[in-house]
Amino acid sequence: MTTHEQAFERAEPQAVERRGLHRPSLSGDWWRHLIALAACFIAVFPVLYVASAAFNADQSLGGTNLIPRSLSLENFRELLSPDPAKSQLQSSTSHYLRWLGNSLIVALTTSVLTVLLGALAAYAFSRFRFRGRRLGLLSLLLIQMFPQLLALVAIYLILLRTGDVFPFMGLDTRTGLILVYLGGVMGVNTWLLKGFFDTIPSELDESARVDGATPAQVFWGVVLPLALPILSVIGILSFVGTFNEYVLASALLQSNENFTLPLGLRGYIDKQYTEHWGPFAAGVLLAGVPIMVIFMSLQRFIVSGLTQGSVKG
Amino acid sequence: MAEVVFTDVDKFYENGVHAVQDLNLEIRDGEFLVLVGPSGCGKTTALRMVAGLEEISGGTMSIGGRVVNKLSPKERDVAMVFQNYALYPHLSVADNIAFGLRLRKEPRKMIEERVAWAAKMLDLTPYLARRPKELSGGQRQRVAMGRAIVRQPQAFLMDEPLSNLDAKLRVQMRADISKLQRDLGTTTIYVTHDQVEAMTMGDRVAVMSAGLLQQVDTPQRLYDQPANLFVAGFIGTPPMNLIEADISFDGLAVTISIGAQTLTVVDAGLKRYPRLRAAGGRRVVIGLRAGDLHLADHRPELPSVTARLELVEALGSESIAYFRIDAMAIRPEGLDEEVDDELLGEGVTAARPNLVVSIPAESAYGLRLDTDVRLAVDTAKLHAFDPATGEPLR
Ligand SMILES: Nc1ncnc2c1ncn2[C@@H]1O[C@H](COP(=O)(O)OP(=O)(O)OP(=O)(O)O)[C@@H](O)[C@H]1O
Ligand SMILES: [Mg+2]
Repeated sequence: MTTHEQAFERAEPQAVERRGLHRPSLSGDWWRHLIALAACFIAVFPVLYVASAAFNADQSLGGTNLIPRSLSLENFRELLSPDPAKSQLQSSTSHYLRWLGNSLIVALTTSVLTVLLGALAAYAFSRFRFRGRRLGLLSLLLIQMFPQLLALVAIYLILLRTGDVFPFMGLDTRTGLILVYLGGVMGVNTWLLKGFFDTIPSELDESARVDGATPAQVFWGVVLPLALPILSVIGILSFVGTFNEYVLASALLQSNENFTLPLGLRGYIDKQYTEHWGPFAAGVLLAGVPIMVIFMSLQRFIVSGLTQGSVKG
Repeated sequence: MAEVVFTDVDKFYENGVHAVQDLNLEIRDGEFLVLVGPSGCGKTTALRMVAGLEEISGGTMSIGGRVVNKLSPKERDVAMVFQNYALYPHLSVADNIAFGLRLRKEPRKMIEERVAWAAKMLDLTPYLARRPKELSGGQRQRVAMGRAIVRQPQAFLMDEPLSNLDAKLRVQMRADISKLQRDLGTTTIYVTHDQVEAMTMGDRVAVMSAGLLQQVDTPQRLYDQPANLFVAGFIGTPPMNLIEADISFDGLAVTISIGAQTLTVVDAGLKRYPRLRAAGGRRVVIGLRAGDLHLADHRPELPSVTARLELVEALGSESIAYFRIDAMAIRPEGLDEEVDDELLGEGVTAARPNLVVSIPAESAYGLRLDTDVRLAVDTAKLHAFDPATGEPLR
């Protein structure tokens, strides 16, 4: 039955698109390059500045140039293994690695759970018709309108009381902080994911169900793989957002060893004397590494057109 | 393999639409049944109720002697081919086909054999490693078929599987699917709104309109003995000419008056529609197939009427001539305008041709547009219906 079709396919390569014949010339488009360069410079400048400060032996902020006078790893050494005698921090010990660990645990758990719970909720909202569906969606959106900061006092009190009953998720615990973060972004992500799930043709679900899949198998085997791009984006955004979050963490975490990175690093520049910009810069620079790693590893999933070819519209 | 039986099946959607009404239909073991009807008549709904994708509001549905009303799609063991194929885009062709078997935890080796078998049946072997987006429309369609046949289900359900293909490929796939079904012998329900597909593929054809089953029969019987006005107008290309006419019966012969012109019905015609006699003095709907009208010179022995030639479409071996005769043309309810849209030029609605005749191509050369032509009517082949109820006057 395919002879006709195969012949047609063999003929196809002749029709290969001719691309790149017209390449924009540099002379005509110089202004575009100028704007791009300016944008790059603006984006990169702070990074360069911090990098320079991190490797500068001179600790004062004022003395820092973009090109340091002398390079040294002194700042990193002080950050990672502070000399108690020399250190002027009150806590006298830097817990840099511990803070980094806290931040990683909190941010990773939050982003993974955000993606998972968001996807589950969104799938239900997108595919099932149940009582209270509309109301649920609307209230998710409404609640999301209030910034979490407004609820700071309430959140504080809730964690305080919760801690009385379940100490592991009260104030000054990572679990408590994770729960608060999770609540904060759930609504937005559920809406985002629901919008994406709505674009996955329901015939795919139905086809899988007729093929013998349970709702759970449809979710894990068909819908979730197709949603990988948006799941990765939400995962990355949530990771970066949590990793950088300061205000909530500062209100809910109290002891130095529970601090997340932003809280801990703040200690270096919080003081009257501002000689600690060097270690601070080093700490910020190092903190960028996990974010880069996460981004690189998820990047390959962020491809468009995953659902292409499933249905003919 | 199994028979599928609808008993008094009803379907109400939440919005109150009564999409399928009191459906009684038995699809025999191994049969290829085509469900046909105009858009929105409830074909898809009926099919989805078999698959378990749509709840059954009333009546019972059984597959292989087992009542399945409350069973999930998974437990019904049927396979469905969707209009848009619904292939899993993240899986290769092989994995798409194997999907159902994997869910059933079949042994690996068996899965491989079955996939290879299905791919061979459908000429998909060279494409097994590809993703759906790297396939042509026809190949995607075959993957969707492969996913259905590989499981050897109780029944195949197909919802307009060919409607996304171009005309030529559609004709080819039509034959391929028919052959495949005959080879496998699996009970099949095939939904289409294309009556040519229905006539060419089905062992039997079920015609639906507005949620109601109109007639179930073999294609030839549907064509020769339509159960009502709707089926008469729906089945056949070009569609049957349905025009109003007055009947008079003088005790011996039945005479039909079409406008000012009269025809006498021969005995053979009266034998098929005996109640024509009783309709004397009343107005009825006369049905004449395009092939049962001829140019008068060709069939001098037949009675003839005069009609004005409006348009001729040459199809090669034969030509379709559109005439206008001084009488009311009838369109059965539920049959919308789409049947011959191309005739609906601006402003000509009132003067639309109401008599379609197929004539041999060489005779069409002598015809001149906008002239009156004598048309012979083979009254032995005519159909007659009650205009109020749509019942045949049999
Ligand atoms: N999910 C639904 N909710 C409410 N009404 C529906 C739903 N699906 C279909 N209908 C209605 O039920 C009737 C039958 O629809 P169905 O899809 O079965 O038609 P169909 O015969 O398959 O038509 P087509 O040839 O256009 O596919 C239509 O009037 C349609 O508007
Ligand atoms: Mg349909």
